[in-house]
Amino acid sequence: MNSKKVKIIYFKEVKDMLRDRRTLISMILVPILLFPILMFGMSSLMIKMTKQAAKRVNPIVVIGGDNAPALFSQLKMDKSFEIVPESDYQAALKDKKITAALEFSTDFEKKIDAGNSAQIKIYYDAAEIRSEMASGKLDNLFKAFQDSVVTERLKVKKVDRSLLHPVKVQKENLAPKEKMGGFFLAMFLPYMIMIMALTGAMYPAIDLTAGEKERGTMETLLVSPASRGEITSGKFLAVFTASLITSIVSTGSMVITAGSSFTRFEEMGKGAVFSVNPLSILILILLMIPYCCLASSILLSLSLFAKSYKEAQSYLSPLLIVIILPAMVSFLPGFELSARLAFIPVINTSLVLKEVLLGTYHWGFIGLIFLSTTIYASIAIFITRRLFEREQVLFRT
Amino acid sequence: MIKTFNLSKTFQDKKRGEIRAVDKANLECQPGKIFGFLGLNGAGKTTLMRLLSTVLKPTSGTAKINGFDILSEPQKVRANIGFLSSDTALYPRLTAQETVAYFARLNGLDEDLIRKRTDELFKVFDMESFRDRRVDKLSSGMKQKVSLARTIIHNPKILILDEPTLGLDVITSRNIIQFIRKAKEEDKCVLFSTHIMYEAEKLCDEIAVIHQGKILAVGTLEKLRDTIGLKNLDEIFVKLVGEEHEF
Repeated sequence: MNSKKVKIIYFKEVKDMLRDRRTLISMILVPILLFPILMFGMSSLMIKMTKQAAKRVNPIVVIGGDNAPALFSQLKMDKSFEIVPESDYQAALKDKKITAALEFSTDFEKKIDAGNSAQIKIYYDAAEIRSEMASGKLDNLFKAFQDSVVTERLKVKKVDRSLLHPVKVQKENLAPKEKMGGFFLAMFLPYMIMIMALTGAMYPAIDLTAGEKERGTMETLLVSPASRGEITSGKFLAVFTASLITSIVSTGSMVITAGSSFTRFEEMGKGAVFSVNPLSILILILLMIPYCCLASSILLSLSLFAKSYKEAQSYLSPLLIVIILPAMVSFLPGFELSARLAFIPVINTSLVLKEVLLGTYHWGFIGLIFLSTTIYASIAIFITRRLFEREQVLFRT
Repeated sequence: MIKTFNLSKTFQDKKRGEIRAVDKANLECQPGKIFGFLGLNGAGKTTLMRLLSTVLKPTSGTAKINGFDILSEPQKVRANIGFLSSDTALYPRLTAQETVAYFARLNGLDEDLIRKRTDELFKVFDMESFRDRRVDKLSSGMKQKVSLARTIIHNPKILILDEPTLGLDVITSRNIIQFIRKAKEEDKCVLFSTHIMYEAEKLCDEIAVIHQGKILAVGTLEKLRDTIGLKNLDEIFVKLVGEEHEF
């Protein structure tokens, strides 16, 4: 193999790639814009929704309000509830006319006053978020009421309240603010970056194989003195470049976005401040290299098999799912890196990236995963090269 | 020169079984001569030319191109040929200049020589006005010129042209015919396929009629006329191929 020819093909493919609007969008524009939109959008949406939910007035039905005049009038005063006169509360709840219904047992107030216990029933629809929230609010309201009754009764009996709480539990979060910020990122970044590395290389991979077949440029290249090995290498390196650039741009965009939106994080995540160790980023990019190699050669092989752009897209869509599912392990609690998992492609990278972003460096695992992914990538590149030598693949009719 | 030795290619088709696309083809094409391939669509012309350009590997038999074997020295074979067909399209996002220079580099030309050769070719083919225009912005005639320049940038001794005039307008077709004549004057060995009889009659020193993968007859037009006993090439062709193809 002549490295000069590989270089000629590589530079031509990169130039061609950079002139393709679709590739530029998926390689640069999407990763730059996606994270700010996702993070700012999602966090402001969540904050807005929580605020709105707090302000919202819940229409409720009260049955047997006369049984508990004091509590009933307290409910009427509460601005977050609106008591509506609906006769069939079940139908009203189903039609979302009300968010909950209350039923006071007979002689509710009398029983309480007499020092006995009385019952309140809350009817709600657990499958409706607004109803669920309303029932929670009612729950809190009645807990406060119960608390005041208990305090009153204890006072009468001259018993100290602390008798009820012999053990006081106090929880304190010792995680540094950086770790809290890193935690959010460690969950999302491995998953997102692994998907982006794939989508960023997808268009170039299709364009350089099935696209060339469809346009008829493949044969022009095949009749040139470049060998199949040189052609495969040049194309592979170009797709790999696209994949790695997308990964780096995604990482940069996500780190910057997360860093600049820490005020939002404070509202969301108990005062989390975002910061990530530069060493973590360096290891992340290093670990992405074999993963990008693997992704690029799988993309190339599959799309080389296709006759047209459209056919290639239909081959690559299922691949996305095959990668997305294992990459999601970074989201799942309880998935810890082990020697066995270190050999499973995609899962291993996702898990080790999560650890690295949290500032835990298991050098043994990092080395093992780098090595095992490199081996998988080499096998995949070998297969791609063999496919390029097969007439049945290149001239499939 | 081109010489084939029982060159054969079979394909496996799920529905039709084994297809003999090229069946023991033997032919010889000398420098300074134009060798024409006549055949119906699907006769095996394209497969034969793809075998010679080493894009496909023969099932049996072989060929020598300028002394290089298509099986053992495919890269040297490709460095010695200029191959053009309706399937060899151009990269739409490269300019005319970039396209020609790219293939020159792949052929191992150094930058000085590339500049010299591209200057020459762009002048000869009158392509200066669209030198830096992207291929997807060119007319089909302009594209054909770029394709021709791409084909001969490395000054190959042998030209293999698969239906080079297919789907082109009269003017562009005439340019191609002139190009083929000029190549002959430059002592190149030209192998070209067509199903247009008058093109073959006008141009070819030797003609081979190919049908269902087999070469049915080879020779000069005079020789074909003598052996078949007919004057017009289209009559000779129909006689050889069999009248059942007429309707």
